[in-house]
Amino acid sequence: MNKIDLTTITVSEASAKMKSGEMTSVALTEAYLAQIEKSNKDINAYLEVFDDAIASAKASDKRRAAGKVGALEGIPCAIKDNILIKGKIASSASKILENYHATYDATAVSKLKDAGAIFLGRTNMDEFAMGGSTENSAFGVTRNPYDLERVAGGSSGGSAAAVAMNGALFALGSDTGGSVRQPSSFCGVVGLKPTYGAVSRYGVMAMGSSLDQIGPITKTVTDNELIFKTISGKDDKDGTTLSSEKTGIHTNRKPVIGIPRHFLGEGIKKDVLDNFDASIKRLENIGYKTVEIELPNISYSLMVYYIVMPAEVSSNMARFDGVKYGLHVDGANIIDDYFKTRRAGFGREVIRRILLGTYVLSSGYYDAYYNRANAVRKMITDDFVKAFETVDIIATPTAPSPAFRIGEKNNDPVSMYLEDIFTVTANLTGLPAISLPSGFAKAGDKDLPLGLQFIGKFGEEGTIFDVGKSFMGEV
Amino acid sequence: MITTKELEHLASLSRIELSDDDKKTLAKEFDSILGYIDQLNRVKTDTDTSARIGAVRNVTRVDVPETISADDRKKLMDEAPDTEGDFIAVTNIFK
Repeated sequence: MNKIDLTTITVSEASAKMKSGEMTSVALTEAYLAQIEKSNKDINAYLEVFDDAIASAKASDKRRAAGKVGALEGIPCAIKDNILIKGKIASSASKILENYHATYDATAVSKLKDAGAIFLGRTNMDEFAMGGSTENSAFGVTRNPYDLERVAGGSSGGSAAAVAMNGALFALGSDTGGSVRQPSSFCGVVGLKPTYGAVSRYGVMAMGSSLDQIGPITKTVTDNELIFKTISGKDDKDGTTLSSEKTGIHTNRKPVIGIPRHFLGEGIKKDVLDNFDASIKRLENIGYKTVEIELPNISYSLMVYYIVMPAEVSSNMARFDGVKYGLHVDGANIIDDYFKTRRAGFGREVIRRILLGTYVLSSGYYDAYYNRANAVRKMITDDFVKAFETVDIIATPTAPSPAFRIGEKNNDPVSMYLEDIFTVTANLTGLPAISLPSGFAKAGDKDLPLGLQFIGKFGEEGTIFDVGKSFMGEV
Repeated sequence: MITTKELEHLASLSRIELSDDDKKTLAKEFDSILGYIDQLNRVKTDTDTSARIGAVRNVTRVDVPETISADDRKKLMDEAPDTEGDFIAVTNIFK
């Protein structure tokens, strides 16, 4: 058998090769395990590589031989450490869950299992998905495959790096404010934040419940659409889910692309802006009409996000009490057990956000912060609804800069938060958004990937996939 | 400016122990974060601050207990830091 070239292979190609008998899932899985063995000690994308991956691949090859072939039959993938796989550790890269074993499958995971996918391992992340660089992992930073001195982005940095280092055909991440799209941008891969409600969150650890979505990270838009279709749909176990006819929709007209030029100024690196302009030219050259649009309240998005998100965090993190599961530290009495356990188990960013959320929700501040943030959130959503009367897609850069150096933003939370400036709006509004590799910025002798973001209408993943494919030259 | 007393109150509500060093760092970080999000005060909002985004709606279902297998039950119990027989054990509440 020919050696498998992991740098170029896609889900679609691997499926075709397994169908024709040119390749087996065992051979493909072995190739990925060998690549992980080679790259992971430098990159730290995986927290754990599962010892049953080959056994799963063998079972998949058997199913194929028996004529039972799922949509992702034999395809090796990586799963973010906050998504549950029954029997496996799911730690959310936190000390408080270091030895926690999932007791059930997340819906997205059981859908992947039903489709025949192979789980290679669980990937590193910012603790409980709180961060934009994977530096907040309790188990070490994930390094960018394009430059080991730089971050892979976050919070799904391990998932994006796993795909970028050719260590998985696809990965699942979670996106609360940009956590799939920003690391995808930093690592030169495709990352989707689906419409709120498109993918069930049953079995993903909640961070900001009005914002969270699970999303696929892939090398191509075609692959991304395939994974999205596999994991989306109504789920009785997540009341916010939508039926599959309500998401993944394609517009039936030639999509018009809107550009909020007024928002692309302050704090954005020149490399990023130049690349963005080149991307817009490319879209025009392949026949898309672009128009300038106004989103009058978009500059408040990040402030709204840093009120709503911590408020929801402070509530979701209350479940970690050292009683039902996870770390337990003895205190002087039962209340003190909580104080000691939570101090020992949570990292700095998690503690910061719990306290901030408690602050904005506390008596005397609730109206000034939380209620005001909700009102502005509604105004931002209305701006998008209005803009989408004339355009079908809104384009922005994914992040204001390429991957930054490890440690560069460690002591300045606000500068780290500004990483999410272009991505949080899709979470606040529930709209689908994708990051596409759009080129590189030069940094010394290194080429750092950049990303182009498309935000689509509610439920219109199909439209952003269509334009994404033509942008990437996949059609 | 957030005071040490306010921080201690938040930590107590959140059930998190803070050292004096933690408090010093957090006070500084809080000022920077609050300084940023306080810019929201410049926005003129409608009087209706209870507005919710369009897609969010309440979904209810019948609350029925699910039976799980003895094996799953054991797995759940195995995750608890401390158990006694069929129960999860906690530190004594009444002395």
